[in-house]
Formats: sequence, structure tokens, C-alpha cells
Amino acid sequence: MPSLKIKLGPLELETPLLTASGTFGFGEEYATLMYLEGLGGLVLKTLTIFPRPGNPPPRLVETPAGMLNAIGLQNPGLESFLAQELPRLQECGLPLIVSIAGDTPEEYVELAGALRRQPGVAALELNLSCPNVKKGGVLFSTDVALLEKLVSQVRLAWDGPLIAKLSPNVTTVAEPARAAAAGGAHIISAINTLRGMVIDVAARRPLLGNRCGGLSGPAVRPIAVNMVYDIYEATRLPIIGMGGIMNTDDALQFILAGAAAVAVGTANFVEPHTIPQIAAGLREYLEEAGLESLQELVGAAHDV
Amino acid sequence: MRQCRARVLALQEVNREFYSLILHEPYLAATVQPGQFLHLRVDSGLSPLLRRPFSVAGAFPGTGTVRLLFRCVGEGTKLLCRVREGDLLDCLGPLGTPFTPAGADPAVLLAGGTGIAPLLYLAESLLAAGRGVHLFYGATGAAALLPLERFLSPGLLIHYATEDGTAGEQGLLPDVFQRALDNGLLPGELFACGPRPFLAALARGNQRWRFPLQISLEERMACGIGACQGCAVLIQKDGVTAYARVCREGPVFRSEEVVW
Repeated sequence: MPSLKIKLGPLELETPLLTASGTFGFGEEYATLMYLEGLGGLVLKTLTIFPRPGNPPPRLVETPAGMLNAIGLQNPGLESFLAQELPRLQECGLPLIVSIAGDTPEEYVELAGALRRQPGVAALELNLSCPNVKKGGVLFSTDVALLEKLVSQVRLAWDGPLIAKLSPNVTTVAEPARAAAAGGAHIISAINTLRGMVIDVAARRPLLGNRCGGLSGPAVRPIAVNMVYDIYEATRLPIIGMGGIMNTDDALQFILAGAAAVAVGTANFVEPHTIPQIAAGLREYLEEAGLESLQELVGAAHDV
Repeated sequence: MRQCRARVLALQEVNREFYSLILHEPYLAATVQPGQFLHLRVDSGLSPLLRRPFSVAGAFPGTGTVRLLFRCVGEGTKLLCRVREGDLLDCLGPLGTPFTPAGADPAVLLAGGTGIAPLLYLAESLLAAGRGVHLFYGATGAAALLPLERFLSPGLLIHYATEDGTAGEQGLLPDVFQRALDNGLLPGELFACGPRPFLAALARGNQRWRFPLQISLEERMACGIGACQGCAVLIQKDGVTAYARVCREGPVFRSEEVVW
């Protein structure tokens, strides 16, 4: 049987399939429902130093072939995460990728230091681009000098695989990708959600409590595939691609565009078994194509 | 909780307002409790993309069936109005925290509009347990009321209220309920479901009445199982104010814990 094993720089995964941050909670919710077959790792909901209550409701709204969300990085904070969520997550045996965010570079560094050498934590993902909180995110994703400095500072506090998750809310994604590479990121993940808004016509007001939110789902997929394609051309770093992946063909689009791994987000809400289904689909595809490993397909859509 | 494929046994247009859908799924029928909901995928396409939550209006373990009652109003319910006998619906459930009757008689159920659905199931289960049950049911007018006699066993005391006075007492349901209290009704506990302003009015009233009051809330939902934190509602409990999830800690909450 062809192998789905994949190497993303220093990060080795049994399969290239991850959960996108914020779509799988801290894991417990889906544990009762789905078999974890096919999952290469869990990217956890973004963690901040202090607990965050999250945004006022409504926090989400369905859109054509997608959804807007403005959860507002609700999370229990570092202390509670280390004491309660992490020990439980360690039991599942999957590599854990902890997504972190801060208002300042110092907060990212503090989180990285606290997570260093925690058993089961396989990598850190820097959430540089949450569109739904006022401070921090927007600055780090658009100011490339600041982005590079932040990544290099975190590298000093964290000696494991480091992932920079980029925002699509930029003119060109190649620049922040190069900045993340220059700062010492091992892996790029892209894309985060696109900023969007729905107006409640009856109320004549933005529908979401936060007014704007992040668009995800199949509606954003062509944009995400294009950005992964551009990042692949711009850097030599391995890429975790995501944005509206619902099935095997969608995942293959990202892989051919240059992603060595992919993350599934919104689709988990629709079909909890999307990831196991894609794992089976990828194996089948490799077999039919007579390929030994997925690695052979990464970036194959580019001109040689 | 499981992911199952429920078979459509019957879809019926009850009146201008309501559709009744009978699904065959023995596991759900045997396990779902009043107040819990099912998260249905009404279409396998990309738009509408998300599942839809539906409260269960009745469960019949003997026949392995459950009943949903809904109004054909949005994109999702319009598709659900078109299912055919034999169709399989992808379904997560049972989900959410159910009503927890504490045993003080009579139990008084207060339903506003489509809020009748979960309370029908609760009424049936309370009647089956030998409880005394009053149901206060309000809508805009007679045409918007569900014909309850078709869905309920006898033994229930029903009080109708309509805003235009075309059925039952004229007025808003909280006011009609207030009059019943003034006339000597002494509830042991209250259960309510309906639009948020209706529930908020009951919660305000209950600051004077001080009955145990459990309410079932709605919020926009994505995952339905507690992962996405989308269906947040502000809850005050043990001196701490924090967001709870309608799909997990709810949809049933104690009214005094909700920050209205």
C-alpha cells in the first residue's frame, strides 16, 4: 500500500492530513464521534496567555458555499491549557500542533517557552492573522519586517518545528512568506480566513456581533490554491495548504499547487469523517497512479 | 451521540405553518431525550453548506422513529420540505443537554411559535411519567397554531393565546400566563421554548414568580457538537460570567443563568 507519510522539514507526519485550527476544538468534542484514522495530527484551537472570553454572538453565519466566523480566539488561556486540555490531548497519541497568538511579540515568545518540550507537542503554529481580534493579528500579517522579527524571536524560545500561518488579507502573499522564511520558520501554513461581512438587511446592521468575520469553506478554495501556488514559487519551505477542502480532489489541488500537507477545517462541521475519507481517497489515487509516495505529487502543477 | 442515516418515513404538511417529518432511526428513537436536537445535513451539495439543528418533537422507541416539526422558512428547511419517503438523511445526534424535570407538579410548559416542537416531546414524556401538565401555547393567530390534538395524548391541560384573538385568549403568552397565575394556578416548575424576546419576557416575569424555569435557546450553529464555539450565549453561573455553547451546555439552560 502506498505511504501517506510526509516530511515537512523537521516535522514528520504519518499522513498529510491535519485539522485546521479552531475547527476541532481541543479534540474532545470529536473524540466520541469519529475514528481518528487518517489524521496526521491535530492543530489545536489558538491559545493565548490569558483566557479570552471570545466575541459577542452572533459569531457565525452561513454564506454561499461557506461561512463567516468571528469567534474571537475564545480559549481557556495557557495555565488551564497546560493543566487540563493538554494532558487529555496527549492521550490520543497524535502529534499536537499548538496554535498560538499574542498581542505582542513578547506574548508569542512566552507561550513558545512554556510549550517547549511539553510531551506530545510536535510543533507550534504562529497565528499571525486572526481577522477577528482587534490587536496584534493584522499588524503581524501585513508588516513584513515585524513578521520576520517575530518569527526569529520565537525561534529562540522554541527549538521544535515552527509553522507560520499566513493571512490571505494581503496584496501579495509571497512577501510575508519570504519574511517568515527569513525569520526562520520551518513551515508555512496558508491560508487563514478571508475578511468578510454579512449585513442583516432587516436590522440594517452587520449581522455578526464582531461586525466582520473570517470567510472559510469551498467559497475560498480557488483563492487558497492560488496562494499556496504563489508561496511555493516564493519560498523553499514546505507548505500546509488549506481553504475549503471538502474531498480528495480538493486536497490534491493543494498538493499539486505545492502543499506537502493539508488541513481540513469547515468540512469537519459538515462531515466529521472528511479526513478519514480523504486519507482513503489519497491512498487510492496513489495506487491508481502507480506512485509510491505522495511526496512525488507535491508542487507537480508547477512548470519544471 | 452518533452519526447516522435516518430514513424518511413520512413528510406531511400539517397546515400553512408546520411540516411534520417522521424519520426511522432506532438508535435515535431510543436515546434522544426531550430538549435534545438532531443536526441534519439537508443537502449533500455545497450551498447550503452547514448542517441544520432541529429539536425533536417526539420519539417512539417502539417503532424506532422520531418526529421533527418545522416551518419552511429558510434555505435549509425549504430543501427539507422536498424530501421523499425512503430518502436517507445524514444526521448527528442526539445532541445537547435535555430538559431535567425535578418532579414538582404541575409542570407548566410555555411554547411560543415553533418553540412548541421540543415541548411536545417533553409534554408526552411527562404525561407518560404520570405528571400533571399544563401547556400554554401562543402564536400570532389561529392559523399559525399547530393542531395539538393530532400530536398529543389526552390528559394535558392546554391554554391557547393568540395576539389577534382568533384562538384562545387574546394577548401575549407571558401575560396570559400571568393571568392564570392570578387566577390561582400554582406551577411546580416551568419549561419554555420560543423566540428570544418571549423567553426574556418570561425570565423577567420569573424574577417575581420565582419558579424553577428551564428555557431552550437557539443560536446560529456550525458543528453542533461543541468544537467551533460558534453558538455562544452569555451565562452567569456561580458568580462567573462566560460564554456557554448552546449545542453542548444548552440548548436548555436555567433562565436565571442566562444574561438576557
